Amino acid sequence: MNFELFTPFTDVVPSFFGWLNQGPMTLTIFLHTLIVLPMFWIYFSEKKRLQKEQ
Amino acid sequence: MLTSIKTNEFRGDKSKELGMMYFRVALILFGAQLLMGLIAAIQFIVPGFLFELFDFSVARMVHINALVVWMLYAMIGSVYFMLPDETGVETVGIGLGKLAFWVLTAAVTVVVLVFIFIQVGSGTETSIWLINEGREYLEAPRWADIGIVVVVLTFYWNVFATYMKGKQTGIMTVLIADLFALAGLYLAGMFFTDNISMDQFWWWWVIHLWVEATWEVFVGALAAYALIKIIGAKREIVEMWLWIEVLMLFGSGILGLGHHYFWIGTPEYWWEIGALFSALEPVPLVAMFVHVLYDWGKEQGKAKAEGHPGAVMNNGPAMAWIVTNAFGNFLGAGIWGFFHTLPQVNIYTHGTQFTAAHGHLAFFGAYATILIGMMYLGVQYAYGVKKLTSTFKSKMAIFLIVFGVLGMTVALTIAGYEQVLVERAELGGGWTAFFAAQDLPWYIQAQVWRAMMGVVTFVGFIYLVWDLLTIGKHAKAAQAAAE
Amino acid sequence: MANKKVSVWTDIQFWRRSAAWVTGFATILLIWLSFDTIGQITMGTNADLKNGVDKRVPAATVINYHIDYKMNKKRGHEVPVIGEKQLFFGKEWSPKDAEALLRLGKLTEQAKNCMDCHTLLGNGAYYAPDLTKAWLDPAWQKGGPMQGMTGKNTVEEAMAEFLQHPSQYPTHARMMPNLGITAEEAKGLVAFLKHMSSIDTNGFPRNFSKTVAQFKAGDTNAH
Repeated sequence: MNFELFTPFTDVVPSFFGWLNQGPMTLTIFLHTLIVLPMFWIYFSEKKRLQKEQ
Repeated sequence: MLTSIKTNEFRGDKSKELGMMYFRVALILFGAQLLMGLIAAIQFIVPGFLFELFDFSVARMVHINALVVWMLYAMIGSVYFMLPDETGVETVGIGLGKLAFWVLTAAVTVVVLVFIFIQVGSGTETSIWLINEGREYLEAPRWADIGIVVVVLTFYWNVFATYMKGKQTGIMTVLIADLFALAGLYLAGMFFTDNISMDQFWWWWVIHLWVEATWEVFVGALAAYALIKIIGAKREIVEMWLWIEVLMLFGSGILGLGHHYFWIGTPEYWWEIGALFSALEPVPLVAMFVHVLYDWGKEQGKAKAEGHPGAVMNNGPAMAWIVTNAFGNFLGAGIWGFFHTLPQVNIYTHGTQFTAAHGHLAFFGAYATILIGMMYLGVQYAYGVKKLTSTFKSKMAIFLIVFGVLGMTVALTIAGYEQVLVERAELGGGWTAFFAAQDLPWYIQAQVWRAMMGVVTFVGFIYLVWDLLTIGKHAKAAQAAAE
Repeated sequence: MANKKVSVWTDIQFWRRSAAWVTGFATILLIWLSFDTIGQITMGTNADLKNGVDKRVPAATVINYHIDYKMNKKRGHEVPVIGEKQLFFGKEWSPKDAEALLRLGKLTEQAKNCMDCHTLLGNGAYYAPDLTKAWLDPAWQKGGPMQGMTGKNTVEEAMAEFLQHPSQYPTHARMMPNLGITAEEAKGLVAFLKHMSSIDTNGFPRNFSKTVAQFKAGDTNAH
């Protein structure tokens, strides 16, 4: 069976994003995480503010 | 709609009057778009129709450019219309706005005449500057590009200065930021390169970041304004939803650009980025849909609890079009877009009638609907009508147009399905494969259905124009009689 | 005080800040990705071609080489394969001349509005065949019906002849109109098409490389 969870780099030109793009949705999950994680911080800082205001 | 300016129904509200001027040209261009679409649809069935006189490329070019330009007109019109309501002050540079309107309209007329009568040029820079830039949707020659930029800058300055002078609502803040991006992105389409990959790369910056990001946010802001205006929705709730929509639309839409970078020479890593980000694009569209219906139901319930019988909305046809927008945006942009957004599917569907099916329902559902709704708001205001109710013509217009566009979409989806399986999957997509698929009976039948549904849409459009021209006058007369 | 119940999810400021963060950061990521991609899709050089360096978009002088489109096992799809030297319109083009010809071709492609009937790299209108790999289409090769119809002996000459007099060579009831393409412009367009066929499109269109023999026999690729 021709299947590997993490595949070697296949694209023409090596690059940072190409390097991240070698597993099951590793690149897109990485980018989504970068975007979503700071929202937790925003959430808790807003929660603090609201509690203070009350 | 026509006489409203002459009879000075606006009581000095210059910004709204300017908005109506834009709406009128938008409606004319909408008609031109449909006529060109009909010609192109007939050429699919009768290939000799207007051959070497008014070829498919010309009809199609005017079809899609009239579409973009009428939407831009209606968008500018909507902004001028809502500006005094949102900011609480009159628009700052009305004279400048009017001048820009006439400059833009003159330029659009010249461009369309050149498209229709000169059509193509020789392979020189001059042709690109004066006749036709030959890049789908951005065919306008370079001189017109520069004109458009100047006009849009004037418009933006007007909106921005008014915003700074007046109240700064959440809706206006979103709009100001969004319009800035929308106007700036146009610049990405204004250069020549002999590298077709580079050409397409930047071309998509304009096209995608317009229709799948900034235009969508614009629609969100319009819907927010319209809901406050029509059903008296609570501003805090509407604006909260608007920020959620901005978050989700830009969060998915900006990197969703990747789904256009699968096959144009760009690296493989776009497969993943395009697939997952754009797969999330329907989510905010669902949110919009829920939000509109939720607000409507809530306001209805409140009215009932307070003892007002019947609907609380003060503009029946506008509300009908905005509900159609919520649904059409989700279905056309969301569902039909998701159909072919994954690279595994897109490698076969890319560049087939599948795309055309999605394009028709998405542009209509996401944009045409709400802009028509704004025109009804304009008519209501222009005639000073307190409560505008749908007429038989309003109902025929919305029914026939929605039915016609849905019919075209289904027909094109079937045609696309045939094309994908036979031309692409079975025969491998060459010249002969293309025509083999075009000759399939089921493909041809689908094209015939598409043309018929185009006619249905056009009849609906005639009802729409007729209704917009008459509904205000009649409603005003009825209102006066009742008082 | 810390346990007081507050509703962050209905707080406008939470959503506003989140929207600003997500929009701003997604934009930054897009710009970063764009820089990376632009580097990769910038045209290669003549030296790259000579040294066999794979570029996503090769230099204009790729018109001096034989181009094929073959399944690549490692990548799992077809990729352009640039092979031996091959004359183009009977000669080898210097980098300067090749660039000028490609430029003329691209300008003509735009001025004649090809994209409002055809698709290029899959983008455009759907009234006429996709031209991404048109250069490699079996129909244009020796023994193929398109080359046969024009009575020419090479792909480039056949294509150029067709482009100048398209309605003389109907391939279907739906014909290409005469767009007043000159002999020079036609050469440019063919160069543009040949160059486009050498672009690495990540395997689009799939399954394209069919032989003339398969094609003539009305056969499929499935064996």
